[in-house]
Amino acid sequence: MWRDWLLRAAQLIGSIVGAVVLASLLATLSHPAHGLWPFLTALCERIFAAVRGDFGLSSVTGVPAMASAIDMMSFTFQLLAGGAVIALLIGIPLGILLSASRALRAAAPLIQIIAATPVFVAALALIWIAVRVLHWSGISQASALSWVDLVRSDGWSAALQAFALPALTVGAAGAASVQLSIRRAAAVAWSAPYRSGLRMMGLGALDIDLHYALPEVLAALLRDLGEIALALISATAVAEWVFNRNGAAILFLKSAALGDWNVSAAALFLFVTIALIASFAGGIASQLIVPEDRP
Amino acid sequence: MTGTAIKIANPASQSRIRTIISTIGLSGVGAIAVIVALSNVIARVPAGAVNAGPPSLAPDSHYAFGTDVLGRDVMSETVHALTVTFSSAVLATVIAIVIGAIAGFAAVRAPLRLGAVLRAVSGVLGALPVLLLAVVGVGLAGHDFAAVAAGLAVSPAIFNRSFDRAIALARSRHAEYARATGIPGITLLRRDLVYEVRANFINVTGRALASTTIVLATLGFLGFGAAPPHRDLGLMIAAARPNYLDVWWPALFPAVTLTMFILFARLAAALDEGEPP
Repeated sequence: MWRDWLLRAAQLIGSIVGAVVLASLLATLSHPAHGLWPFLTALCERIFAAVRGDFGLSSVTGVPAMASAIDMMSFTFQLLAGGAVIALLIGIPLGILLSASRALRAAAPLIQIIAATPVFVAALALIWIAVRVLHWSGISQASALSWVDLVRSDGWSAALQAFALPALTVGAAGAASVQLSIRRAAAVAWSAPYRSGLRMMGLGALDIDLHYALPEVLAALLRDLGEIALALISATAVAEWVFNRNGAAILFLKSAALGDWNVSAAALFLFVTIALIASFAGGIASQLIVPEDRP
Repeated sequence: MTGTAIKIANPASQSRIRTIISTIGLSGVGAIAVIVALSNVIARVPAGAVNAGPPSLAPDSHYAFGTDVLGRDVMSETVHALTVTFSSAVLATVIAIVIGAIAGFAAVRAPLRLGAVLRAVSGVLGALPVLLLAVVGVGLAGHDFAAVAAGLAVSPAIFNRSFDRAIALARSRHAEYARATGIPGITLLRRDLVYEVRANFINVTGRALASTTIVLATLGFLGFGAAPPHRDLGLMIAAARPNYLDVWWPALFPAVTLTMFILFARLAAALDEGEPP
């Protein structure tokens, strides 16, 4: 198992190095040097600087690019964490329900209607429901959740309202990935040949599900953690835009629109790192549950 | 997870359900293609024609989808925007299939371990959210290349899936048998590619069409996609956003059209994704 973990760690380090090169390439392409040799020299300088965490200065504000991106990460992390919790709360029961019986599996394509809705359409629909049906008014507040707001007796309700809709938007996108992962794993586990053998040995269906199928489904969910993180990050970018929140994703979009590529590269590097670490941690955890899960 | 869970659906009936779902999806995409082809006939006014009716008129018998704040006929605008979205999505899908699916399949047989290098690069690109990758593409190349950027952004995920599938085929028993009997690698690749295209072309195309449409619409909504006067569905929804809490119809009808398009593409792929492919 240690060999597999080392292999996974080596893959993670290789991927992070690849992400550094990619981010450096983006920053270099934005200020193209004339000729191949000057370009390669500039790229190498960028890579060495990026390895030290230096992605250059923002061409708009003059602040170090990485510092700008890290400053904005607070709200993005809150949104990602809130969205992940909602995704698991909705996605796990939904995935199990849609895999639980033949009739429900047949109904699974109906979920396509929800899955086909783009995140920004879902976000606009949520705002409309909140304003028109629930008569909420705090959804346009542009700030991260702070302890000061939560402690104030009149502040927590507005602060939660301001946070709930973006988190729900991100969570809904994540839930689609979670239920998909569970259904995919459940379909394999339900049709595994060992089931009939275990039944013949006298084990009940519930015992087989709990001791054999459930770990496999859980391991598959953890194995797909990288994909789930990607879905959450994409949804966060859209949610921050729709709800006017100052997070790292909106910083990335604005800097890309303004051609401030040093900041874009720094933000992009942070997002890739989150996805890669989620994938690595999920892979290790899934191997702990099902040891024969090889990278 | 109860006792009923172990009842495995009959593969024949599953296959029949998939065929029905895929047929519904293909019919839907076909109907959209017909609407796009006849857009200038179906739409009563040209794209972007202001004052076609009174401003912000709710849907009625004359204006089935109502009018927006500039008096544009929302139905005509939706048809024109669907044309822009559909055309861009088809171009992006072709790019994604060529660079993702076909190149991924062929890369396995590339010399000098080039395939492994490409797979590693694609693995890093696959760790990027597709939307952000497309935004980078548009930022570097400009709005006119939004379809190309969307196609390229979707490609790494398709490349990885295709590469892994080709690796599995290259290590399969029929491949070992073919190599042992002296069949050249290129012949084996051609055979695998033909079988793969026959078996999975509609599925891969449907998936790619759905993905590129979502990316393109979101790019349009964020202001990175089509630029006026050529509005796509995403940009049309973004333009209706400031007033949509009161004047909801200029946002609702494009949103429903967009969702239907994506839904049909997913159904065409018979995307009962919980089941193994």
